[in-house]
Amino acid sequence: MFATDDTIVAIATPPGPGGIGVVRVSGARAVRIAGAILAGPPKLEPRRVTLTEALDPADNRPLDRVLVTYFPGPRSYTGEDVLEISGHGSPVILRQIVGAATAAGARLAEPGEFTFRAYLRGRIDLVQAEAIQDLVTAVTPRQARVAFDQLEGTATGAIGAIDRAVFDLVARLEASLDFPEEGYHFVDGEAAGAEIASLAEQVRRLVASSRHGRLIREGCQVAVVGKPNVGKSSLFNALCGVQRTIVTATAGTTRDLVTETIDLEGIPVTLVDTAGIRTTTDRIEAEGARRARAALEAAAAVVVVLDRSRPLDGDDRALLDDTSTQPRLVVVNKRDLPAAWCPAVRPQVAACKHRVETCLVDGRSAGAIRDALLALMEGRGTSRETPAVSNVRHIGLLVAAAAALERASAPATAGAGEELVLADLEEARRALEEITGKRTPEAVIERIFERFCIGK
Amino acid sequence: MRPQRFDVIVVGAGHAGVEAARAAARMGRRVGLCTLSNATVAHMPCNPAIGGTAKGHLVREIDALGGLMGEAIDATGIQFKLLNRSRGPAVRSPRAQADKRRYGEWVADALAREERITWILGRVSRVTVRADRVTGVELETASGEAGGERLESRAVVVTTGTFLNGLVHVGERRTPAGRAGEPPSRRLAESLKALGLPWGRLKTGTPPRLDRRSIDFSRFAEAPGDEAPVPFSFMTPAIERRQIVCHQLHTTERVHDMVRDNIARSPLYNGRIEGIGPRYCPSLEDKVMRFPHRERHHIVLEPEGIDVDEVYVNGYSMSLPAEVQEALVHALPGLEGAVVLRPGYAVEYDFVQPTALNRTYEAAGVAGLFLAGQVNGTSGYEEAAGQGIVAGINAARAVAGEEPFVLGRDEAYLGVLADDLTTRGCLEPYRMFTSRAEYRLLLRIDNADLRLTERGREAGLVDDRRWARFEGRRGRYEENVRRVSGTTVTLADGTRARAGQALRRPDAELEQLTRGDGLDLELADGEEQADLWSVETHFKYAGYLERQQAAIERARRMEDRRIPSGFRYEGLPGLSREMAERLTEVRPETLGQALRIPGVTPVAVALVGARVGA
Repeated sequence: MFATDDTIVAIATPPGPGGIGVVRVSGARAVRIAGAILAGPPKLEPRRVTLTEALDPADNRPLDRVLVTYFPGPRSYTGEDVLEISGHGSPVILRQIVGAATAAGARLAEPGEFTFRAYLRGRIDLVQAEAIQDLVTAVTPRQARVAFDQLEGTATGAIGAIDRAVFDLVARLEASLDFPEEGYHFVDGEAAGAEIASLAEQVRRLVASSRHGRLIREGCQVAVVGKPNVGKSSLFNALCGVQRTIVTATAGTTRDLVTETIDLEGIPVTLVDTAGIRTTTDRIEAEGARRARAALEAAAAVVVVLDRSRPLDGDDRALLDDTSTQPRLVVVNKRDLPAAWCPAVRPQVAACKHRVETCLVDGRSAGAIRDALLALMEGRGTSRETPAVSNVRHIGLLVAAAAALERASAPATAGAGEELVLADLEEARRALEEITGKRTPEAVIERIFERFCIGK
Repeated sequence: MRPQRFDVIVVGAGHAGVEAARAAARMGRRVGLCTLSNATVAHMPCNPAIGGTAKGHLVREIDALGGLMGEAIDATGIQFKLLNRSRGPAVRSPRAQADKRRYGEWVADALAREERITWILGRVSRVTVRADRVTGVELETASGEAGGERLESRAVVVTTGTFLNGLVHVGERRTPAGRAGEPPSRRLAESLKALGLPWGRLKTGTPPRLDRRSIDFSRFAEAPGDEAPVPFSFMTPAIERRQIVCHQLHTTERVHDMVRDNIARSPLYNGRIEGIGPRYCPSLEDKVMRFPHRERHHIVLEPEGIDVDEVYVNGYSMSLPAEVQEALVHALPGLEGAVVLRPGYAVEYDFVQPTALNRTYEAAGVAGLFLAGQVNGTSGYEEAAGQGIVAGINAARAVAGEEPFVLGRDEAYLGVLADDLTTRGCLEPYRMFTSRAEYRLLLRIDNADLRLTERGREAGLVDDRRWARFEGRRGRYEENVRRVSGTTVTLADGTRARAGQALRRPDAELEQLTRGDGLDLELADGEEQADLWSVETHFKYAGYLERQQAAIERARRMEDRRIPSGFRYEGLPGLSREMAERLTEVRPETLGQALRIPGVTPVAVALVGARVGA
């Protein structure tokens, strides 16, 4: 159901990586949510910007340094209490902030819902509120279903198939309850249990694949780390120079991280160049290194660049240790120069599955790095056939559907009442129909009459 | 001559009318009950049975409110069966074959005991209205002309079933009739249309009746009832009466061929019937034509009474010509020599699109005009009775200027019924199903009294006898729930657990637990089963009920936000014309109801919500 009195949250800036990104929270609980997800928590002053950190609710670790602006209602965009949290433009980080807000009680906003609220609270007139159209389109059940059915693609196909299977099962179970004396054996309890378990598994697989889907849609951040002068800049140039498909090239706004986005076979990969990480006593350089490490932690993958022409030192080994649990690609550069060490016999390097030896001068070896990077990215997702779901809202709904199906499967197998199995199946159905478009309340009954000759 | 004056006039003494009249009378109103014939009070022109899945729930709820139907069927039922007995408690539902004649007599007697009810024999020709308020009704003259006697009242409950412009089809023969052999009500239909109520046309049908003496029952499988019948009414301790058996048979390929050969003579298939029939009650023609791959269809021979010769051929409803029907009966193995007492028929009739009504069953534009039963597009005696009792209570309240009586979807199937009808309207005859109730686990037959008897008492329908009995039962229930929650028992496998927790296991039974140590329950003599059942279900469903309760709370935020009557949707900024039209037509009473109107989007409702305020 569509409520107007709860607190909503969404990423307010356009999808995809950017220099900064804004997460907007609107509603009565906005301040309470700020208290839950911001370090301190800070004392927010109306219409003032506060520098703080957004925290991961799971472990209270900082997700990002953010600038928070608080607009108490009614003098705000929506007329409600509004928070605008500006973070760094990584979709991954922004999504985590949104996740923290939903964990603290906010609801993911429908498209256009902020504008809609602004209209409801009299902040804008309807002519301004064109975005309401988006919302109308998104939540008109029949239109949504029609739109969904017209979509092509393996993900919608898979969700649609699961949705139809759940619906069909619901119809048969309902038939067995409402028409016990029709001489039909509508459904077999054990088979239904197995079917539900299999559907739960399918949904779970879709959720698992969603990470891969998001990778394609929103791309990912890859931190390039290494000591100074190992060839990081050459690596940048090599990757960007060969394939001139730079999406954005932005210098980080508040910290000295340089990002470049390249198109890697359809995956927008944001390369984050970091200050060289090494032990130092210089305060500024130390701060740079600290940020480099933070970027490294936030990144989906890491490229560790090593220089084969100089001996491996403590800094190299520390980097290799620090990144050992992350998906990473080790680039052993300067293959063209006399070797000071041999990658194959250094256990720390030899153990890396994704490893490439390069010569990055003049853009050479770029192809090899692209291939290695792609292999690393794809290895992180699941197999290629699994359809990918890339919409955050859809993933949330699929998770809810999977949980409801799992709850339904055990009682179904154990032969507990159909009405109890249905209670959970209906919940799964509702979640799936949020994606595929709602059916009318009559749909189940219509389905039964379509398939079975009911009634005396 | 001064016209007779009443508080409430009820037009029609079918299942809706008798409940409405009785409810209003019990609430202290003087009631005029108009009927065409004393012989057809609470008549069953179709299946001589009460209850069935979800319908049994409705009967229990009517009974819990203090209505007639439950006690009537308990007193005159000849075969009882608890459907879904092996399934969960929420979907168990009683059904019973009625002794049709005795059922009607029992109800007529019960009404005769109500001093405030005056019987009026005659045909109502119109509802009289002044300044959008009902003033009474006018009867036809003895010779069938308009302008007969006038009766005055401030509320009228119209329960005319299939009589409004009824047209009976048997093959090519068409006879204007409300039921076979009974003339239809044309003038009343016109009078209601003139009041601006929207109309539709529906169709229903009934099978041929056979002479019991001409049937060789030894050829069929017996279909017996339950050994220990479960009564419908909370007032009935037990049913001791001897029960009859029904008999079961099946259609054959030859029957199907005959139907196909004669299909052009069926008014259903040659375009003569325009009304839409119920899909859950298909005619034989529909069964054969729409499901060609089903090899055979069920038929049950059901006696219409303990000592009558009429046998109802359940599952064989049709509107083919009489001679084809006779051949189709004789084509059934075992019925070769059966005598057809009267053929089956289809009846088309006008109904009022119930979106024109409020959930009290009062028409939106005419104060004091209530409609209940099949005239609202429903089918089934139980659905009719359920509307009748609610309409009767509301008519009685309306004339006294009291608050409306509305049950929520989370309170009763009666609430689901009223909300579905008035929010979505009818595209085909509406029958209740358990799947229509989103809070099904809560709306059970075992707790119908716990849900509703207090409401019935407040309304003035529940007499002292029923109230005393209910209080005893509720006291035991609450005490037993306390005891089960607080007692630790030893299970079959030797482990110890809280009794309440133990009951969540699918195979655990409360009765079993009481046989062991420590758990002693208060059970009334003869009510043990009912007492145990409610308590056991309370615990078995506990986890699910909590979640359902949470869903109810969430929904209530919208259900509690009222839209003022007369709210103007046209011109509301942001609301499309289509939405405004839909909302104006249905006139939802709350935002929650508005959300359930087909085609109305959540955004439209939010726009309305912003305008009506919290």
